[in-house]
Amino acid sequence: MIVRMTRVRVAGPRVLLDRTLGVLQDAAVVHVTRPALPETGIGPYDRERRSLRRILEDDETALRLLGAGLPLPRRGVPELSLPRAAALARRTRRRAERIARAISDLEDERVVLLRYQEFVSAFRPLLESELAWPDGRAFYVVLRAGARRAVQRLREHLEVTVDGQVEVLSRPLASGETAVLILSSAEAGVRVAQLLGAARVQELPAPEGLGETSLLRALPRLPLRLEEVARAITAREAERRSLRDAVLDDLESLRAWLHDRLLIVDARGQAHAGRHLFVIEGWMPESELSRLAALVLRELGPDVMVEAVVTETSGRSDAAVELANPPLFRPFEVITRMLPLPRYGTIDPTPVVAVFFPMFVGLMLGDVGMGLLVAALAVTLRLRSKPRSTLRAVSSMAGACAAFAVVFGLLFGELFGDLGSRVFGMRPLGFDRQNAIVPFLALSVAIGVVHVLLGLTLAVVNAWRTGHRREAVGRGVAASMVALTVLAVLAAVRLIPRALFTPAVVALLVAFPCLVLLEGVLAVIDLLSNFGQILSYARIMALGTASLMLAVVANRMVGAMGSALIGVLFALLFHVVNFVIGLFSPTIHALRLHYVEFFGRFFSAGGTAYRPLSHWHPSYPGS
Amino acid sequence: MQNSLAFAAALAIGLSALATAWAQGRIGPAAAAALSEKPELTTTAIILIAIPETMVIMGFVVAVLILRGTG
Repeated sequence: MIVRMTRVRVAGPRVLLDRTLGVLQDAAVVHVTRPALPETGIGPYDRERRSLRRILEDDETALRLLGAGLPLPRRGVPELSLPRAAALARRTRRRAERIARAISDLEDERVVLLRYQEFVSAFRPLLESELAWPDGRAFYVVLRAGARRAVQRLREHLEVTVDGQVEVLSRPLASGETAVLILSSAEAGVRVAQLLGAARVQELPAPEGLGETSLLRALPRLPLRLEEVARAITAREAERRSLRDAVLDDLESLRAWLHDRLLIVDARGQAHAGRHLFVIEGWMPESELSRLAALVLRELGPDVMVEAVVTETSGRSDAAVELANPPLFRPFEVITRMLPLPRYGTIDPTPVVAVFFPMFVGLMLGDVGMGLLVAALAVTLRLRSKPRSTLRAVSSMAGACAAFAVVFGLLFGELFGDLGSRVFGMRPLGFDRQNAIVPFLALSVAIGVVHVLLGLTLAVVNAWRTGHRREAVGRGVAASMVALTVLAVLAAVRLIPRALFTPAVVALLVAFPCLVLLEGVLAVIDLLSNFGQILSYARIMALGTASLMLAVVANRMVGAMGSALIGVLFALLFHVVNFVIGLFSPTIHALRLHYVEFFGRFFSAGGTAYRPLSHWHPSYPGS
Repeated sequence: MQNSLAFAAALAIGLSALATAWAQGRIGPAAAAALSEKPELTTTAIILIAIPETMVIMGFVVAVLILRGTG
């Protein structure tokens, strides 16, 4: 259901505006909107907002760089004054940026050094003899992964170019790259360098941190430098930790305070503020009005007035929308919230969804075994989810679907298809889906009739509540015509007394012109579409039967594969596939039946979400 | 007669499956492209992709009714 809202007006002397907004923030019940009053030209407080945002950016950047983790909810009361807190945020940000940059540079150097170490260890014996070869020259090249074949081409080119005065050696590296060492005589070295340059093959220079131009001369210092880098990184990390410990509380408090303050500034921009008076308007739950009035009187005295502005339902069409359902139905709000919120004054379909959605999924699955597997999945999700999270809601919905699947499984006598009847002698308490396909189809369509008629009835209620009386009567006539048509069909096939056929047809003939008069010619098309929508519920039978057939085929594989073991493996594989399909397909089609066939009858989207002015929280929208 | 009915049932499910596959083949990539830019359209995308399945589901129902009609 949608919480009943009232429009509230809070007015008082201008000097009390900020304090009043602070009290409203503490109360956390008023969704502030702009009052229908002329602009005063005061505000919109952009300078203060910019200044607060700049400090907040410093603060949050510093916290991020210091690795403060997820923000903790806390009341924003900084112990420092704002200028000192702002200076602290700025200073900490700069210092944190310096530390982060230093760590990043050291990490980069370590990666490069490790790469050299790999290269060097591939050619260590040769490199160690380089010093004994003063007239020679060495080139160090690393070819990218998959370019190993290029070594042969490189060797051929070089040998032709420098007339054999070159030796090309290659070793594969663990990274998939290829280390290539090219040794040449001093006079051939110039031409080799030219050729490598022309072929855009980059030579590996000695690492910068070693202060050597020759890789060989840098070689002994490599392990030492690696140790130095590791020590430097540890020292910088320690510096970052100590900085974080020193300023974390102040920065966290400052962040919460700044967010709170920005919310106040935004709300102030919505208020009508003159030179002497202010007026704040907004929407709040009707049940909270007296509590708010008492709180404002206690905190601000009689100078600030709180009153309800509009009480008529018709005047609340732009009210903020808050859904509030009993705990049993609340998880299914996730399905309603996947669409834009319903407009205020219309119907929240969540309670109906909470009944029909798991029922549809259960009907389609209709298997004790599958139901128990879904229940196990629901329990796992519940254990791994946080309270009030979407995952927790999904686990509750899965639990409801599992319960329906088990109940319908008992009615249909199914446990992983016909395994229950073949092994345990399980018998259907209702009917056997495998043979009673037409009754199952009739049941699915009958459920469609009930669901669509319920949707049409809710459309009548919606139109009536929003003051569209003519539309309400028109929708009522359309709903009656659908019901009369169903009656006539049932009478024609003698499922109900045949005597009802003629009265039903006469009533239809009377209702038809009434419908055209009330809703226009297009209502006829809408009426016909209702029958198409009802037939669409045949998918419940189709998906249910398909799932059952897959399970039956899986069970028959045990005897059909020659080897019992292979048969069991194939059967298990088929059951797993069937279960995965059974998780997605019924869910998607149950959603579709709700969104298209059911919601399409009455749902009126476009409600504004209720977001009361409150203290900042890490999960606050836009955080 | 039995063969003709079986053929008719196969046509009912086969042609509707082809039609659904063609429609979903067009809708799927478009929905994926839309979702990459606007993830909030997930619900709409699911509905749009599920809509053509009505054809194959109805085809399945008709095929079953044809086969059941043979007794």
